[in-house]
Amino acid sequence: MSERTIQLEVLRYRPEQDKEPVFQTYTVPCDPDWVVLDALNYVKDEIDRTLSFRWSCHMFVCGSCGYKIDGEPKLGCKAFLRDYGDKIRVEPLDNFPIERDLVVVIDDFVEKLQSVKPYIIPKEEKPVSAGEYMQTPAQLKAFKQYSMCINCLLCYSACPQYGLTDQEFIGPAALALAHRYNMDSRDVGRKAREHVVAAHEGVWECSFVGACSVVCPKDVDPAGAIQQAKFTSAVDYITSLVGIGGK
Amino acid sequence: MSETTVRKPYKRQMSRTTWFMTHARFKSYMLHEVSSIFVALYMALLIAGLFALANGPDAWAGWLAFVKSVPVLILSLIAFGFFVIHTTSWFKAVPQAMRIQQGEHFVPGKLIIGGHYVALGAFSLFVLILAGVA
Repeated sequence: MSERTIQLEVLRYRPEQDKEPVFQTYTVPCDPDWVVLDALNYVKDEIDRTLSFRWSCHMFVCGSCGYKIDGEPKLGCKAFLRDYGDKIRVEPLDNFPIERDLVVVIDDFVEKLQSVKPYIIPKEEKPVSAGEYMQTPAQLKAFKQYSMCINCLLCYSACPQYGLTDQEFIGPAALALAHRYNMDSRDVGRKAREHVVAAHEGVWECSFVGACSVVCPKDVDPAGAIQQAKFTSAVDYITSLVGIGGK
Repeated sequence: MSETTVRKPYKRQMSRTTWFMTHARFKSYMLHEVSSIFVALYMALLIAGLFALANGPDAWAGWLAFVKSVPVLILSLIAFGFFVIHTTSWFKAVPQAMRIQQGEHFVPGKLIIGGHYVALGAFSLFVLILAGVA
């Protein structure tokens, strides 16, 4: 079946035996249409069943298979082997502690995600019988891009600010999602999210490196969302100084 | 499975001094950030010129001689290079920060960037006309 053989260099970390991560190379025969995730699954099935990595849908929807591939945060299911050389290096995502092999600890992100209240906070709750919260196509367009996030964490891996602040920074995906709800015409929760979004560890920690938007597999543009939120935060600050700000 | 594994997450350290050397994207970002130092330095030079102008003809002539000296001319050329980096990198980023929605569509980023270059050109021409150069 195979037309090509690649050397897959995988960063291994087995907490019960390794003091620090070490690279292990696997020789993998592969099909021309394989992605890196297929190669990892081949290793798991045929060579070394102790290799650990997350994956689920294999169609860049679930956001589970984020790894650093040849130095760049990528989804394993979207990184085609044909776009790489015969030696491919696969590492866990940067800026997160390594649980085991390619599996990272994402608890910090989950907490941050919850902190921005990523759900619609309506002006008044309506019973289901009252029908939908209506929205025009233009109102949908205003935030739709930011709703495409699949929480794959490639943006956190690419963001030096998240690493340099030792995970203090709320980070790209959570802030983009906060922006998504703030921009939603059905939502009035901007003030409820403000203490997280407009804080120093929020949008103001971002120095606009822009790497998050470059690596995003869903074209969400978290960097853009954060800059727009900075503008809103600055306007809020100025209007509160002159006493015309809203509550 | 009866065996339990003790968790021992491995935390990798990020160098606070050399992190930007790890990726071409970060080097480009740092170049963009460093360019602001040259922008600030050149602004300080211009402000010094304003003070010299306020302090009379001798001070003004001294400042003019200073900016025409070879070291300052070389520094000005270097500053101009960084100005170009600063301007192009910021203008390139504008559409991300400034989304203009018209109905169900957004104004294309290229138009927004182009508009900034047109404004820069028009303002530069205005300054040159004021200075009697153009």
